[in-house]
Amino acid sequence: MSETYARGGRESTGAGGFILVVASLLAALLVLAGLIYAAGTPARHRAALAEAGCEPSLSPAGVQCTTAQMLTKRYLAVVVPARQQLAADIAAYRTNQRRDLAAAQTALMAEVTSEHAFDTSLAHITLPPAIAAIARALIRANEARATLTAKQAGSTSLTQLRSFDRRVDVASAAVQKEMKLIRAALESPAHAG
Amino acid sequence: MARTPVGRRAREGPAADYYQPAPYDGPAGYEPGPYPDVAVAPRPVEDAPGQPLKADKSRVDEWMEVTFKFGGSKIKRKAVALVILGAPALIPLFLMVPAFLTVNQNTISVSVDDTLGTGAEICLFLCLLVTPMSTITGQRWFLPLRRWYGIMMACCAIGDATAAGITDNFAGGVFGRLAGHVFELMGFMMVMLVIPLLLTGNPWAQRKLGKYWKRLHRLIYVIWALLFAHLILLEGIGFQPGGTDDGSGFPGDGDPVFHQRLYQFGACSLFLLTLRLPPVKRWIVARQKEGRNWLVYVTVAPLFVLFVFGFTFILNEEFFKGIDSFTEHPSSE
Repeated sequence: MSETYARGGRESTGAGGFILVVASLLAALLVLAGLIYAAGTPARHRAALAEAGCEPSLSPAGVQCTTAQMLTKRYLAVVVPARQQLAADIAAYRTNQRRDLAAAQTALMAEVTSEHAFDTSLAHITLPPAIAAIARALIRANEARATLTAKQAGSTSLTQLRSFDRRVDVASAAVQKEMKLIRAALESPAHAG
Repeated sequence: MARTPVGRRAREGPAADYYQPAPYDGPAGYEPGPYPDVAVAPRPVEDAPGQPLKADKSRVDEWMEVTFKFGGSKIKRKAVALVILGAPALIPLFLMVPAFLTVNQNTISVSVDDTLGTGAEICLFLCLLVTPMSTITGQRWFLPLRRWYGIMMACCAIGDATAAGITDNFAGGVFGRLAGHVFELMGFMMVMLVIPLLLTGNPWAQRKLGKYWKRLHRLIYVIWALLFAHLILLEGIGFQPGGTDDGSGFPGDGDPVFHQRLYQFGACSLFLLTLRLPPVKRWIVARQKEGRNWLVYVTVAPLFVLFVFGFTFILNEEFFKGIDSFTEHPSSE
């Protein structure tokens, strides 16, 4: 091996070594900074909980901290698509309630399915006790509406079908009332826990 | 290059040749070969004092080539190891299966970005990790994982874009939902670029494209850069002080910095990028030839630790968001 070749080899790898050492030192500093930062985690955690209005003792079982925002977002993630689906089903019913019994019944059954899906999704959200009670009332009201809608779907004539409308409206109002209560509770930090 | 057992090559040829990538990176390759020509040029045999080291390293590859009997079939150890290492790449898609089967629009729209988007990022990093690991360890038996992770990255990215195009709430129709915001445009471009890679990620396309295959597959680096742009536009620099509507970094656990996706990306990319630089690769080859692989390990260790640090938090994100998706109770945090 010639000396020139060896010297060239060292020079060609020297830059690589320098780059690697600099990058490694940077990485080591970042890891060290990360470890120091991680040491302050418990204090930041407590501060974050306090800032977000979250008291771990008030949170639902199994959830360390739930803020009002988090609960509201989870609730809306269930409500918004359900409402859209229900609105589409109701529109389909209204279009057909005076002219096509079969189509109206299909729309009503779709409403029932949407209502059950909403209830199931809502039941899966872990809520603090105060809001959970309202959520259960909401589910009961919605199930009552779904039962009535299913009966309506079993009508044998368009007249009979429409005769349920008023009762369904009353059931819907009950659902709306519970929904307003739950929104008010979610917007109250004391309840959100 | 034919897939000659590494041990034989180490005995027959110059040590540096051990690291030479296959033409177009061989059928197992997904991304361009790890070495520039200058780094792999054959050198005199007497210039390779690290022969015993090479033989040591090649023993792992040789061990992996050994077959064993299982249910009447002969299976290579390598095949089992590759399946074990490759199977987790299916998890992101698996976690979204219930939502797709039940057409749960709520879960798809809320959490597909997190589950499949993060899954694609994980697969991209795993794909990019294969070459540096081969460079450091000198082992080649896991190179087929590069293609596999690349394919899974493409599947996750395309699944993410498809679901977002259908279920996102942005205005402007499908195109608006896919590219209506700049960060989305970056993601959309990534998906567009990943499609030709997915289509040509097979031996047949590799043969047909010849030398152009390698050039085409360098697009993986463009995708890597676009991911950086995507994340910086999505989350910015710094971290979010709280709440659930201001990006990642929710400080509920007191570690908002660790949950910042851009920082996770940076922590992982530093290792992957540094180990790809030609001078660095030359330096590593030289140290290995000198039989001082320990020096390589010591020097690279902080970079690797940082990579693991960042990658752990990406996996954490995928795990928790993925479980939420799987149970169809999506988390929007």
